[in-house]
Amino acid sequence: MRITANDVRKQYGTVTALDGLSLEIPDGTTFGVLGTNGAGKTTLFKLLVGLDRPDGGELWIGDRSVADAGRSLREDVGYLPEHVGFPGALSGREVLEFHADVRGLPRDGRIDDVIGTVGLSTSAADRAVSGYSNGMRRRLGLAAAVLPRPGVLILDEPTAGLDPRGVVEFHRIVDRVREDTGATVVLSSHVLSEIERVCDRVAVLDRGRIALEGAVEELVDADDVTVRLTPADGSADELTAAAEAFGRTAETNGTVAVRCSASEVPALFAAVESTTDIADVTVERDGLDSAFREALGEVAT
Amino acid sequence: MTDDPRPDGGYATGYARPTDERRWPRLRRVGTVARTEYRLAIRSRWAIALVGLFGLFGAMLATFSGSAVGPEGMERVVASLTSLAVYLVPLAALAFGYDAVVGRETDGWLEVVFSLPISRAQVVVGSYLGRAVVLAGATVIGFGATGGLLVREFGTAYWGAFLAFLGGAVAVGLVFLAVAFLVSAVAREKTHALGLALLAWLWFVLVADLLALGVVAAFELPEFVLTAFVLANPATSFRVLVLGELGTTSGGGFAAAFAATSLSSGLLVAALFAWAIGSLAIASVLVSRRRL
Repeated sequence: MRITANDVRKQYGTVTALDGLSLEIPDGTTFGVLGTNGAGKTTLFKLLVGLDRPDGGELWIGDRSVADAGRSLREDVGYLPEHVGFPGALSGREVLEFHADVRGLPRDGRIDDVIGTVGLSTSAADRAVSGYSNGMRRRLGLAAAVLPRPGVLILDEPTAGLDPRGVVEFHRIVDRVREDTGATVVLSSHVLSEIERVCDRVAVLDRGRIALEGAVEELVDADDVTVRLTPADGSADELTAAAEAFGRTAETNGTVAVRCSASEVPALFAAVESTTDIADVTVERDGLDSAFREALGEVAT
Repeated sequence: MTDDPRPDGGYATGYARPTDERRWPRLRRVGTVARTEYRLAIRSRWAIALVGLFGLFGAMLATFSGSAVGPEGMERVVASLTSLAVYLVPLAALAFGYDAVVGRETDGWLEVVFSLPISRAQVVVGSYLGRAVVLAGATVIGFGATGGLLVREFGTAYWGAFLAFLGGAVAVGLVFLAVAFLVSAVAREKTHALGLALLAWLWFVLVADLLALGVVAAFELPEFVLTAFVLANPATSFRVLVLGELGTTSGGGFAAAFAATSLSSGLLVAALFAWAIGSLAIASVLVSRRRL
């Protein structure tokens, strides 16, 4: 299902959470939402799920307005909140049965299917949730979210608190869920490599607005690199002046960072070595990190 | 165009929900929440604790206060049980329900449930019903055991009064459970909810009764004001209801002064009902507006 946000605004007291946010998420994509803490990611998700109402603007899921459709829209939306919790005295299976009953879904078959999809063992599913690890709780939360085969799946920082192995496994599960449901997946994360790995498209939120939006493969430019140069005498001024012709520069603690095309690196070295002795050089291929920093008004350093 | 829905060929399959579920989806959702709350209350041993609490205090009172021989002894015990229950049942109900909203929010469960196709009011009502069954059951079993002791000791002469007490205890418990939900909907943290619940108990059970007694003693008030005093406090309504059934003024307090007034049992029961429904309705509205 396609998601459309048009000039959405949300204010909490004096804090502006969303400031005229407009966004289009195509049907069937996996869409990453990036941003610093307080950028408005969770607010956007809560508005999409109907946990809160916007002060202005419009939100559409498919051809239905979130404001008008009310809770019937939630039949097509699966949601995994950042701080997901379940009553500890229930077993994982009972949690899923609760979701199935509230949604009016048959219990048979589908619950076992989603337990298998998220990689919870049958014995774990029959144990009390109070004995679950953080990773198991997230798997259970994801199982509950995908139970109705939703058209839209919203995952708020789904890998927060997971160990690296758990993160890799969670990515595999999301891939399986996409294949299983064909849902439009919207997820937020602070881990840029995760967005790069999982998502087709990405938006960077900054103070409630879209600072950057596009296809991940377009934003991750394989030709660009960041070159970090440290002058031997500690004076960065001449080095910066020589490097400026090759790309955007920034100085931090005496080290000058230059963002330029990989093909220009030899010429850059030649130019700066003619003016300054270089004590240290590093070259890094640009990932989503550079696009993120640029979107937030920070030069790559 | 034709109204005939039959296909020209092929076949269609689909899951057909039972007719009752299609007709009563709201009731199904409320029932699902209520069943889950009931299950959680049983597993967290609240039911056992409440039965033990009511049974223990009731049995102690029946053992030590029935000094008179014959049916009058039972009347005195029921009056004493009423005085006990007016303190104990509201306290137990408030302790049982104060975390119903704010506690579930802290656990992260509320956000999960509210993201499902169910209204917040349905969640509140379902949660209340689930806990209400546990509280009512524990009250009947706990104090019912005391009733068995009393019948064995004194016979069945005042059995009706005991049943009135039992019904009143269940009703006042359900009222204070609803008040606990209201407190839980107002509070943003569990500790605040606990503090508010204790304040509510102090007000309804101790302070309001004493203040009313002082006003009645100091001024000559028209009867409708006295009636308002009784109806404005569910704990007092319960006491007046049971003492009225006993036809006694023993049991003390503000209620004893009104046991012989013209307040009918029906009006008192309606007042208790209104307290429960009103508190729950306000709690539902507050939860519907709650920012998670």
